[in-house]
Amino acid sequence: MWDSLRQSLDLTLFWEYRTILLRGLLQNIYIFFGGALLATALAFAIGAARLSKRGTVRVLSTGYAELFRNTPEYVFLIWVYYVLPIIFSRLLATKFNFSPYAAAVLALGVSYSGFLSETVRAGILAIPRTHIDAAMALGMSRWMIMRRIIAPQAIRRMLPEALNQYVSLFKATSLVSLIAVEDLMYQVSMITVHEMRPLPLYTGAALLYCGIIIAAAQCIQHLSDRWRQRGWA
Amino acid sequence: MLDNFNRLVLANLHTLGAGLSVTAYVCFFSFLLAVVLGAMACLVRLYVPFIRIVAIGYIEFCRATPIFVQLLWVNYVWPELFGFPKSVVGAGIIALALQSSGYLAETFRSGIEGLPKGQREAALAVGMTHFQIMRRIVMPQVLLVMAPSLVNQMTVVIKSSTLVSVIAIPDLMYEALKIVNAWFEPIEVLTSTALIYVVAIFLISMLAKRVSDRFRNKYGLAAQA
Repeated sequence: MWDSLRQSLDLTLFWEYRTILLRGLLQNIYIFFGGALLATALAFAIGAARLSKRGTVRVLSTGYAELFRNTPEYVFLIWVYYVLPIIFSRLLATKFNFSPYAAAVLALGVSYSGFLSETVRAGILAIPRTHIDAAMALGMSRWMIMRRIIAPQAIRRMLPEALNQYVSLFKATSLVSLIAVEDLMYQVSMITVHEMRPLPLYTGAALLYCGIIIAAAQCIQHLSDRWRQRGWA
Repeated sequence: MLDNFNRLVLANLHTLGAGLSVTAYVCFFSFLLAVVLGAMACLVRLYVPFIRIVAIGYIEFCRATPIFVQLLWVNYVWPELFGFPKSVVGAGIIALALQSSGYLAETFRSGIEGLPKGQREAALAVGMTHFQIMRRIVMPQVLLVMAPSLVNQMTVVIKSSTLVSVIAIPDLMYEALKIVNAWFEPIEVLTSTALIYVVAIFLISMLAKRVSDRFRNKYGLAAQA
């Protein structure tokens, strides 16, 4: 056991392949940003639609959020990659194909928009009605109320929960290796096949993810805490 | 389309059913293990000062590592490192449990720390032992407060369990992908599989929420919104 423990913590192999692994990690980061952007945009749209005055809009957007909150990311990823192109090709009557990158961004973005829309909704709901009434009494337009009263407060309230969702999203980017995006885990599997030494590579990958996520989450929390406090006069 | 549906989904219903039962088996045991491990990690973190750092490290590691990475790590590294698990099913269960135990430990902790301190002092004053306080004052309340997060974590376990197909556990996703690879007709099978998962997760979370709301109402906590 001690020998295998020493072997798994021996990171020379990890260092040897650092350029390939870093290139893989970069793919993770690209897909994370693409997915986060898509998820955030969709979440604001859906979250606002769930508070709409019109019943149909409300029902549809709630259905959307429930659907994607309950869909496993992996199943949805595979579905987007294999099924969606076929449906599109039949509809458009031409050959249509996703690159694995596009499929990954689309699947992860849409998956996480369900969770995030819940956060957006809660953030907007948490704003006291009187703030809006007061703004209206001052003669602000609806757009101005949204931009200057609701959004700054709602975003500050949402931030801690949204940060959790982004962490989950980053963790989920490890799945994209399964549709042959050449990300970190893909490279780790390839090197394992090549070197026949799974111990240090998989342990290294686990520790690397762990380190990145903890460090990034701590940093963002510190920075955002300062910014949030400024708004709570 | 309907032809394909009959040929690919209905004709293979027993295979998919067998897969679903493997999924259920894996989810059940990993969730059970996760609750036990999570409670242990939380108790160690709160009440055992000199190995607290180990518990904190464990919790942070479990929470900050993707489930997919943990799955491969447990599956490939643990047998050589610790001599177990001996089977892929064991590896799947342990990996899923690891991931959730980290989250559950934190939920437990916030539940315990959220209890008013006066209750504990009152219980000490009437002469209860620490074990009695845990069992009769703290645990019942913590479980009620935690119920919604427990339900939530259960759905997360089911969602993550789709990944165990990657290490060749014959769960629902594995059987579905096998059919896809045999016929190269992904539409019907994958869509049905996705719907089965969505419906199953939705039903289970509804049911669990019902049960937890019942208990919360009975013992004086408001039902969750």
